[in-house]
Amino acid sequence: MTAVRGVGQFYPVGSPLHELDPRAKVVATALLVVGLFFVDSAAGFAVAGTAAALLVAVSRVPLRVFLGLLRPVAFIVALTFFFQVFFLREGPTLFRWGFVEVHEGGLEMGLLLSARLLILVTTAGLLTATTAPVALADGIEDLLSPLKRLRFPAHEVAMMMTIALRFIPTLGEEAQKISRAQAARGADFTSGGLLARARALVPILVPLTIGAFRRADELAEAMESRGYRGGQGRVRYRELRFRTRDALALVLTVLVVLAAVLL
Amino acid sequence: MKIELRDVRHVYSPGTPFAVEALGGVSLTVEPGEVLGVIGGTGSGKSTLVQHLNLLLLPTSGQVLVDGADALSMDRTALRRRVGLVFQTPEQGLFAPTVEEDVAFAPRRLGLDEGEVRERVREALGLLDAGHLAGRSPFALSGGERRRVAIAGVLAMGPEVLVLDEPTAGLDPTARGDLIGLVVRLKASGVTVVIVSHDLDEVAEVADRVCVLGGGAVRAIGTPADVFYADTSPAPTTVRVAAAVGERRLPGLGRPVRYGETLAALRSAMGGTG
Repeated sequence: MTAVRGVGQFYPVGSPLHELDPRAKVVATALLVVGLFFVDSAAGFAVAGTAAALLVAVSRVPLRVFLGLLRPVAFIVALTFFFQVFFLREGPTLFRWGFVEVHEGGLEMGLLLSARLLILVTTAGLLTATTAPVALADGIEDLLSPLKRLRFPAHEVAMMMTIALRFIPTLGEEAQKISRAQAARGADFTSGGLLARARALVPILVPLTIGAFRRADELAEAMESRGYRGGQGRVRYRELRFRTRDALALVLTVLVVLAAVLL
Repeated sequence: MKIELRDVRHVYSPGTPFAVEALGGVSLTVEPGEVLGVIGGTGSGKSTLVQHLNLLLLPTSGQVLVDGADALSMDRTALRRRVGLVFQTPEQGLFAPTVEEDVAFAPRRLGLDEGEVRERVREALGLLDAGHLAGRSPFALSGGERRRVAIAGVLAMGPEVLVLDEPTAGLDPTARGDLIGLVVRLKASGVTVVIVSHDLDEVAEVADRVCVLGGGAVRAIGTPADVFYADTSPAPTTVRVAAAVGERRLPGLGRPVRYGETLAALRSAMGGTG
């Protein structure tokens, strides 16, 4: 019953970003992500950051969805920042206390790396929040289809992705259901040390794994009984259409990335 | 123990586009020692309702009272020991290498000593006619056996109230009959039972009171005769037959609900003519 709305899931509200062709969004995200690694100036990050913020605003996905997305990354960002600030000794010294030294270069590097990580995660989150999993998989299949000539199983890869994405909430629900059932039998997942907590997960993980295998079997049978024979000659219910606005979005992305990299 | 729900509302995923109101103000009392049947179509809120009885789900608004005291301020773990909840298809939660160890999970959590744990396991398995399965792997059992073992796993806690959510779904008629027998035995030993079911015949056999849920609200509550004879469209076979024959054609038929009662009522009303 309870939907498990995890991090990085599709958020179905209407917005211009939701309307875009998934292929355009996948390519644009790839451009932004790759581009971010070539950005090395504060001005460049300001451009990329502003672009990401604008996209978040346009997507109409509530800010807390992105905050939820950033929470697990916060630790990595903090760690990166810490190492850069305290161990990179370049440029004039800003601060010295015993053996602790903070240099300007270190602070700058720390800030830039943190900005890169945060923008990276937000951009990736935008893609999954505004694109339905099935559309995303269709888009990726389409983008990979030229590789079919090289015997790359594009359809199979996309189908695996679709199924995996489709089953994340299902398995989440099942995990929740099983943990409730075990809680009803007195299981306690929140107290005790690390080892006790890990042991407390056994009554959830065993049934969950068994359930996952059972589901996989059932799904394979259901697909075969409906005549699934792989991608050959398969048509789609929803045809992807690449329209002017998709082209426009791509051009805009390229411009933003170029600006951010060159600045 | 007496459990009272007062104007309980429950909304899943509140504040998101996925928000669903599963319960819209339900008030209900589970009296000590009774067997309460909860019926209603799929999506009527039955499963959500029963999870409030041991606070696995917390009400979005409203109150849950246990023996008159606010349950929300009580120790949840202690409450869950007193109110045993058996979920739909509980056999999906089996995990231990042997039946015995699986059933022992709950009593071990209670911190009982090993002798007491063994005694509880033996007792619970005995109640479900599953004593002979103790040494087997739960994954090598039949569907009906696994269901019984899973229910034993909750009974081994020694709950005062046992809540069964669709305990007979997907079982064969013999296994269904056995489970209904279990409810009768539990009641005789003083355990309060709440049984959720789609099978009206089954509810008719065991329930002291029936609660009809629909669209997240209580549509009717009362004795089986009052509830089922007030609206016979979804009623047990016994009630449908008795209502179709009718008091007018067979004076003295009354309002029988259970199979035995109905048979006896029909026999005596038909008198010499039968």
